[in-house]
Amino acid sequence: MDRSYDIYLVGVGGQGVLTIGEILSEAAFQSGWPVNFYPTKGMAQRGGFFKAQLRLGRETIGPNIPERSADLVIAMERSEALKAIRFLKPGGVFLLWDSVWAPTAVMLGQASYPSLEAVAEQVTKAEGTLLTFHPEQMPPDQGQPGSENLFVLGVVLAATPLGSILPAQQVEKVIESRWKKGIERNLLAFRAGREATENPRG
Amino acid sequence: MPNKQIISGNEALALGALVGGASVITGYPGTPSSEAIGYLLRNPSPGVHVEWSTNEKVALEIAAGAAWAGQRALATMKMSGLNVAYDSLISFAYSGCTGGLVVYVADDPGATAGMAEQDSRGFALMADLPMLEPATVEEVYRLIPKAFQLSEKVGTPVFVRMVTALSHSHAAVEVQTEFTPLRREPQLIRDITKYTKAGAAICLAQHRDLIQRLSNAEEAIREMGINHLLIAPKRGLGVIVCGLTASYLEEAMVALLPFNLDRTGISVLRLVSTHPFPEQEARTLLDHCDQILVLEELEPYIETALIVAARRYGFPGPIRGKLDGNLSRVGEYGTREVVKGLAQALNIPLSDSLFSGLAADNMAAPRPITVCAGCPHRGTYIAINQAIRKLKLKKDAVMVTGDIGCTILGMNPPFDTVWNEVSMGASLGLAQGYVWSGIQTPVIATIGDSTFFHAGIPSLINAVQHQASLTLIILDNGWTAMTGMQVNPGTAIGAQSGGHRLDLAHIIPTLGVDWFYQVDPYDLKATTEALIDALPRAGVKVILARRECAIQSIRQTGRAGRVRQQAENCNLCKLCITTTGCPAIHLTESSIVIDQALCNGCALCAQICAREAIVREEG
Repeated sequence: MDRSYDIYLVGVGGQGVLTIGEILSEAAFQSGWPVNFYPTKGMAQRGGFFKAQLRLGRETIGPNIPERSADLVIAMERSEALKAIRFLKPGGVFLLWDSVWAPTAVMLGQASYPSLEAVAEQVTKAEGTLLTFHPEQMPPDQGQPGSENLFVLGVVLAATPLGSILPAQQVEKVIESRWKKGIERNLLAFRAGREATENPRG
Repeated sequence: MPNKQIISGNEALALGALVGGASVITGYPGTPSSEAIGYLLRNPSPGVHVEWSTNEKVALEIAAGAAWAGQRALATMKMSGLNVAYDSLISFAYSGCTGGLVVYVADDPGATAGMAEQDSRGFALMADLPMLEPATVEEVYRLIPKAFQLSEKVGTPVFVRMVTALSHSHAAVEVQTEFTPLRREPQLIRDITKYTKAGAAICLAQHRDLIQRLSNAEEAIREMGINHLLIAPKRGLGVIVCGLTASYLEEAMVALLPFNLDRTGISVLRLVSTHPFPEQEARTLLDHCDQILVLEELEPYIETALIVAARRYGFPGPIRGKLDGNLSRVGEYGTREVVKGLAQALNIPLSDSLFSGLAADNMAAPRPITVCAGCPHRGTYIAINQAIRKLKLKKDAVMVTGDIGCTILGMNPPFDTVWNEVSMGASLGLAQGYVWSGIQTPVIATIGDSTFFHAGIPSLINAVQHQASLTLIILDNGWTAMTGMQVNPGTAIGAQSGGHRLDLAHIIPTLGVDWFYQVDPYDLKATTEALIDALPRAGVKVILARRECAIQSIRQTGRAGRVRQQAENCNLCKLCITTTGCPAIHLTESSIVIDQALCNGCALCAQICAREAIVREEG
């Protein structure tokens, strides 16, 4: 395989970023790509910074993506997105799921929180293409919050070049084999995410 | 039947041990090593004994006992655990072993789990033991059986060292799915010259044997083809890479191709055995090259050994790495470091922007980690803070020593309760030091249940013996939680898979403590009152703050309760947020909002709220 594709994922523990990475890894593996997936578990429990690195296409590759090298960044929280800027390759795609998990100090007005414009400016400076999607774009699932991460996964496959590398059917196959129950709900969220990309904002 | 699947480095190690015939596997949880035993406990293999031991020293002793009886055995730990186990390890090194004994140690360059960047290769040097370091997940799987072979061939314990980025990496490996443990007839060998340290003569003889075994290991490693030497057609640069660092070399070379990098002039020695130093391969490389670049993460062990070898052979060229100041001893390695090393050696001018991106990290909101919604430790920290206030003491005048695990999160806002963090069990020793320093205010030590079993008990006994007036709070959530919910001696009987549960509420009073209290940290009033009663008293006082970890308890029996907002009562005083810092409480313009998806119903916020804007739902 003469292609390679590096994906840098960031978010907050509890958002299901790990699951996105695991599904992409498995789908890529089943599509014949050499895979190295490195989630940083460390102290990333619920509510803490979480990152993961997925490197596709090379038989022997170090787990860490060098700075300025990620073809795609998937950021699931606006503030944490800033920690991924340095890894974006010039010309790469920066997919921002613009959800806001305000730390306590921010809620109390003791610390500032970045604006969407500030993040956009950084992506532009890093010569990336920013695609922003908002949690409000996610349709409610029978009145309950849907599977946010699978919605984002659907968005990623429909809106970024990763979609031409990984067939959506392959990803659906992985989703179907991953869970014993709730498959329908997860597939619905994934498909809704794919459809939502017709009108990105921001 | 072989089966290609995605596994982690830790799982590859576990599976490799099964392929290698290990029948006794022990360890103590520690990031990034924990998933090896975790995998084996989730996927039990008949005839293989697997356990979480009380601490790493115990784990190693069990594995070594099995290896002395002729079985193949594995002990797993993080680098901090190796420090604990080392006392026994050095003796095992002197004695050697009959069955294969492999010690897996996981280091954490970059300190992703927040401890020391300890380079455990130093222990291999100090103990004269062979150490193997795989570069990829697949190599982990293939190397472990060889580690057992090497151990038995030479009669020595063998280290396998991995780093976080490898232990936690996931890659596709073709693995066996059925295993036959190498259950040998256990043997009892009486030989005090080998298995005791009875007298200097025996110890010195063992030391000689140890050095001889290390030399034998070097030869065995060469015969087994564990290291890889690729001599280039042309003289020029020799590169030594070891362990995970090797996985970055190819990407770095490709990145330098546009700068006219000539690969035909680059010879590579890829070391999997980082100890003993492979003299012969190093010699071949020195003979063929004009200069050598050593690429290794953390400490310059290989570089130092190479400089010694080069001096002995009269090698005239430069040896590049960390000792010349070019590469750093701090932090995780990556492609950028490898490129930097190659560029400096080959005089390639690099643009500053190569692998150096736009740093925007400091624009991100600070996100100090805190305990989960519903965590019982939250109640304990709040109670400590309240008791200090109610006793009219200043918070800055009351030492609260901290320990390892989730309990240390009391150091962060909004609690700012815990002052320090050292090592497993250290909270109690430190507290005694503060007592004997002459501090007049109460001294408090905090520790989790697993940490207390691991290394806290000897220190509590010490406090009792010497009558150090202090208050120990054991935050007992029933699990080794921070490393991912492993069992410990105090875990409920149902989770012990056949093991026996030891109840701290029975053990502590028998240790001769002066005062013993047991409280539920969800009951803020009772917990605070216990502290107010205990703190001014003389003697050793222990408060067992017991409530199961919320994550586990939700999984097994559902949430603890339910709280409801009465928004009309909320005057936005924010006391609930500033006191609890609970991630399930959000702030809107008109009131606070409880995220019912996150809330565990611990009702600490309801106990804090003075206006009944948050109330506990009964029933």
